Amino acid sequence: MGTKEEAQGTLSSTDFGVAASAFILNWNTVCSSFPPWTWVLSHHQVEGYLSLENMLLSSTQEEHGELSCPGPGIHSHQEDPIDVDDATLVHTNPCKVHYYDLHIIYCNSYRVPVLYFRAYDSDGEPLEFDEIEKDLPAYSKKALSDSKWTFITQEEHPYLNRPWYKLHPCGTSEWMKLLFHADDALAKTGVAIELYLVAWLSVVGHVVGLRIPFEMMKQL
Amino acid sequence: MASESIVVFAQFQSAVDEGFWHRLSSLKLNKLGIDDSPIPITGFYAPCSHPQVSNHLTLLAESLPSESNEQSSTAATSGGNRNRCPVPGILYNTNTIESFHALDKKSLLKAEAKKIWDDIHSGKAVEDSAVLSRFLLISFADLKKWTFHYWFAFPALVLDPPATLVDLKRASQYFSLEEAKSVSVACNEWRNSSLTADVPFFLVCIDPNSLATVKHIKDWETCQSDGNKLLFGFYDPCHLPNNPGWPLRNFLALISVRWNLKSVRFLCYRENRGFADLGLSLVGEALITVPQGWRDHQCLPNAVGWEQSKGRQVSRCISLAKSMDPTRLAISAADLNLKLMRWRALPSLNLNALSSMKCLLLGAGTLGCQVARMLMAWGVRKITLVDNGRVAMSNPLRQSLYTLDDCLNGGEYKATAAVKSLGRIFPAVDAEGVVMAIPMPGHPVPSQEEDNVLEDCRRLHDLVDSHDAVFLLTDTRESRWLPTLLCANTNKITITAALGFDSFLVMRHGAGPFSSNDERQRLGCYFCSDVVAPIDSTANRTLDQQCTVTRPGLAPIASALAVELLVGILHHPHGIFADGELANSSSSGSSELPLGVLPHQIRGSLSQFSQMTLVGQSSNSCTACSSTVVSEYRERGMEFIIQAINHPTYLEDLTGLTELMKSASSFKLDWDNDDDVDDDDCVEI
Repeated sequence: MGTKEEAQGTLSSTDFGVAASAFILNWNTVCSSFPPWTWVLSHHQVEGYLSLENMLLSSTQEEHGELSCPGPGIHSHQEDPIDVDDATLVHTNPCKVHYYDLHIIYCNSYRVPVLYFRAYDSDGEPLEFDEIEKDLPAYSKKALSDSKWTFITQEEHPYLNRPWYKLHPCGTSEWMKLLFHADDALAKTGVAIELYLVAWLSVVGHVVGLRIPFEMMKQL
Repeated sequence: MASESIVVFAQFQSAVDEGFWHRLSSLKLNKLGIDDSPIPITGFYAPCSHPQVSNHLTLLAESLPSESNEQSSTAATSGGNRNRCPVPGILYNTNTIESFHALDKKSLLKAEAKKIWDDIHSGKAVEDSAVLSRFLLISFADLKKWTFHYWFAFPALVLDPPATLVDLKRASQYFSLEEAKSVSVACNEWRNSSLTADVPFFLVCIDPNSLATVKHIKDWETCQSDGNKLLFGFYDPCHLPNNPGWPLRNFLALISVRWNLKSVRFLCYRENRGFADLGLSLVGEALITVPQGWRDHQCLPNAVGWEQSKGRQVSRCISLAKSMDPTRLAISAADLNLKLMRWRALPSLNLNALSSMKCLLLGAGTLGCQVARMLMAWGVRKITLVDNGRVAMSNPLRQSLYTLDDCLNGGEYKATAAVKSLGRIFPAVDAEGVVMAIPMPGHPVPSQEEDNVLEDCRRLHDLVDSHDAVFLLTDTRESRWLPTLLCANTNKITITAALGFDSFLVMRHGAGPFSSNDERQRLGCYFCSDVVAPIDSTANRTLDQQCTVTRPGLAPIASALAVELLVGILHHPHGIFADGELANSSSSGSSELPLGVLPHQIRGSLSQFSQMTLVGQSSNSCTACSSTVVSEYRERGMEFIIQAINHPTYLEDLTGLTELMKSASSFKLDWDNDDDVDDDDCVEI
């Protein structure tokens, strides 16, 4: 990563690939309690992105209650009694579980990584943003509403062609610039590429409630 | 554990990823059509990896056969890995909700159970043990509402009498320390090898030296030495400490039929952080009483396995409208766009006012089409277009809502075609078309037509009444008269756009004459600077003058400015009463407003690439918006209108313009208008 890019807080797409490999190694070693990040190739096999899926979050929210589709037809339908036997135990989940998928995808126009995420319950039903917000820790919600650089929008996933939430990248280069300038160690040792994603995720993760362990930053 | 208790198995739980439904919809729309023959699919599961949450049998987009392939074999098709053990299944997707509910669930379950039974007897289940967890899915995909009804069944052969549980404890409590270490190592090796990672049933063989090896179940013979401990292991999705998972049911059936064992020691294999977790895993012993007739292949045992939802025997339903319905996606994308504008640049943007505003567009030609598009871009959803013309062959080039198809067979009515076109651009628009001519002064009405004209006048009155803003986008001066009067009468926001060959005028009318109690000077309307009433401007003109020629760039510019002017009014604290500001002015008002200056009139010239702003006050002699005229209309209504239409000098007489002209000419003053634009020639294509 040339110093010019560094100075602007951006990185090239090849550098993103390098940063991603270093990041995966680092993460999977240090954060074994989290699911691992993997590198996924797009269907063209040329570009790739980082993926962390099925991250489980026990939610304190209550069960939805009825099934997700309201409508008179559904509930009033008479089902024939189906055979059940005594050897069957039916689960009752005391806590509502939410699953999160996170993707880190390189954005060509802003030249920075972008965090895409989506959440769903155990039936696979996607969660609305206000439900996701309830899962976020208090400091995240504050970060989201305070900062002019961080806001969440919903856009089509560049490879999966479905709406995902994303942290809008328009402010990323600004605060990455600040991060790199503020940390002399980073600037001097010149291993900025390898640490780009860790540094980036330490800010972004803060916004979505994903705490990055300090050990990851200590790679130097 | 009392030896009399039966083994109670935790039911398999399903989880369907959104991608599966997307793929199924696509398959249904593009390939299957109404074909509802069963589709082989692949489910995926992995051993439990969390102490409080069970793992699920998951369906993903990859679970369905790819669209380009032909039918794949009944065996598990998609490749697996350690986190995705593939399991074969079958999908019955119906074409209606009625047929979904009418499916014979008993016999479908029986059919799948029979496949498992056959695989057990033929030995296939020993070779490819994943078939023991074969499953069934019935569904109905409602592709209009984007809701999916579905129900899983995990067929389990019922032991009758049921297996009894001798004991069940944590694996770490059952094994000795040495055994536990060895078992963990062996299991982790099994899980890490790509050859065996996705094989969900296996044997754990522990020799007298506590050395454990994990083997394929087909190698059962080799584990038969004395002194060896043998456990039947399987990937257990369940996390519960007192119950083994569902796959054990058919495993026990297999063991009983193939090897005729009465006592079975089993290992419910569970993990944590990717490694064997013997604290979470369970080891138990079950006693099987082989039911009569089980050795006989022909005698199919009963089966259970329809998934329960929250303790009830019902199908499930999921709605994906928000992420699949194109109209909803279009709406949220449009909203997002405007919100971004507000977040990033214009925090005071009033999106609610824009989306609730009702706009009336008089004229659906070059100006009307462009204004409609610009309004939609600003988030306006309610648009009414009035035009009595049909789309002509030359129109699509300059009138951006029409295409060649609209010109065929004599041409569609513009108002109708425009509405259809708007709906194709943005499905959530609430657009209405009115095919109607606007009555005009100077175009006298024969008495047999009078009723129709009166009807049109009333209709126009009602249209103006029921909208919040009116755009005058017609192609003659005189056609703007009646709308101006009606708007002045009801104090509606009115915006006029008019084109010359290479120049344009865009202006907002001032407030109506009776709109406020104070006597402050109102801004003028389109007619305020006239000295003659609107007359028939189209008679006695050559063809090219009638059919207006304007430089093509004018209409888009003028239309865009007209809409921006409206947005400016909407965001101005005084609205329609706002004073006219000049560009580059240093008046305090403009610096406060985030949208900038709010002019009264904008006149532009393409030949100069220039634009200027003007302010004009209302005239007491105005033939359209003066208090004289408006009160006359209020008193006499349609009678007054007809009179004005039929007698061109009536308005001038009424407003005293005639007198003014007389006295003016007697003083020989030069009344030449020094405007760049000659209003008499303002026509549009």
